[in-house]
Amino acid sequence: MDLSLIVIDESDLDCFIAQKIIQHTYKNSVVKLYHNPQTAFDAIRAKSVGISLPAIIFLDLQMPIMNGFAFLDAFEKLADEITRQYKIFILSSTRNNSDISKGLSYKTVSGIIEKPLTKEKLQDIMPQHEVQ
Amino acid sequence: MAEKIKILYVDDEPDNLIGFKATLRMNYQVFVTDKIDEAFAILDQHPDIRVVFCDQRMPGMSGAEFFEVMRQKHQLPVRILLTGYSDAEATIAAINKGNIFRYVQKPWKEPDILSAIDEAGKFYMATSMLAVKNNELQTAYDELNKFAYSVSHDIRGPLTGILGAINVAHDIDDIDEMKEMLLLMEKSISKLDSYIINMHDYYSLQRGELKIAEISFEEFFNELKPLYEVSAKVNDVEFDMSITQTETFRNDRDLLKLIFNNLLSNAFKYQDKRKINKRVEVTVEVKNNTATVCVKDTGVGILGNHIGEIFNLFYRANSQEVGSGFGLYNVKGALLKLNGQIEVNSVMDQGTTFKVTIPSL
Repeated sequence: MDLSLIVIDESDLDCFIAQKIIQHTYKNSVVKLYHNPQTAFDAIRAKSVGISLPAIIFLDLQMPIMNGFAFLDAFEKLADEITRQYKIFILSSTRNNSDISKGLSYKTVSGIIEKPLTKEKLQDIMPQHEVQ
Repeated sequence: MAEKIKILYVDDEPDNLIGFKATLRMNYQVFVTDKIDEAFAILDQHPDIRVVFCDQRMPGMSGAEFFEVMRQKHQLPVRILLTGYSDAEATIAAINKGNIFRYVQKPWKEPDILSAIDEAGKFYMATSMLAVKNNELQTAYDELNKFAYSVSHDIRGPLTGILGAINVAHDIDDIDEMKEMLLLMEKSISKLDSYIINMHDYYSLQRGELKIAEISFEEFFNELKPLYEVSAKVNDVEFDMSITQTETFRNDRDLLKLIFNNLLSNAFKYQDKRKINKRVEVTVEVKNNTATVCVKDTGVGILGNHIGEIFNLFYRANSQEVGSGFGLYNVKGALLKLNGQIEVNSVMDQGTTFKVTIPSL
């Protein structure tokens, strides 16, 4: 089965890195990139993300207009049949304690990964998936 | 002459009020009333009253009680109680509770009142200076907190990106893919660099002295123009200037540069790429010792509910382009230093106009 991942990050470079790391680690993976959290949210709500579900979401925190927290606030209001299709990990360069504890307080957030994303960090959160 | 110090005297005996006003009105601006309600109204109207005298024996509410209520809303005016011997206990209690600064024995004599005003005035100055300094300190702390927070995003963000890219590079064999990544790395480094330049601008703004010189706007904008001509050409943006200056204008060249570099780079940055007729237009008019400069673009515009916030530190209203959230904050800081004004007019998808007015210094 394909492994589906969504990256929501304003930075082109960080999106690129996440995509490459994921593709180099899991050959059967499909990655969808969103630079704008609002666009990502709209697609998730409209069930038009265009990749197979369930999917893992990597979410950056500091983004203009809609930041990661605003995304999570909106996401948690969606119907359960939608939210349970996604597993969210925060992927951020933040070292700010209040950001971290706030992030972990969301019940839909499974964990926080500190940037940069590496193969090792990726494997840590997906032990059940076999590395190619 | 400096404006007279404002003093309020509250006493239910009209003769005392008349005597007080007659004695002091030459040197002070004196407000008097025999009613507590009116005293509050006067304080609301004149929050810059420095000293308040009140008789302890007022109908309805004692002087000490009046001060206790008053200090909740008006902390700064110095409170002085007028009392007779028989009120010693109430006076001591009022002093101990911190409701009054000192008391003057009744019937009062002019030298006692004058010395009380003098002492109270000094106390007022010291406390208000402290309040001003505290405010400045609070602002500085708030900004420091914002900085500390932004360090993890605006400095660490691009760095972790570059680090991640180097990490990925070990697994990339394809040259084109590598080139694509180098381009993105370059973008990240430029972003970091512009953040640092902006931070330097911010610091110079806060600490720097003004360097006033004569400014010819023709010359000034001709110097800036080449910086934007490349961007204008590459992105097919028409760049127009019209300058009317017949009188001399004196100002700080570096601060003007900071202001108009930020406004111009925004005007080019936030163009709508899909549009055919893209324009940036600068008009300058110097008249009556004031320069009015408009920077007008045909860009993406700013949403109404973001306009109030675009001058805030680290605020970004657009995700289309890379920004540090520093630019307009620095523009506002520079204009504050120059006693200038800025207005924004923006229509979504049509464009934005910034109108800056700066007095000649």
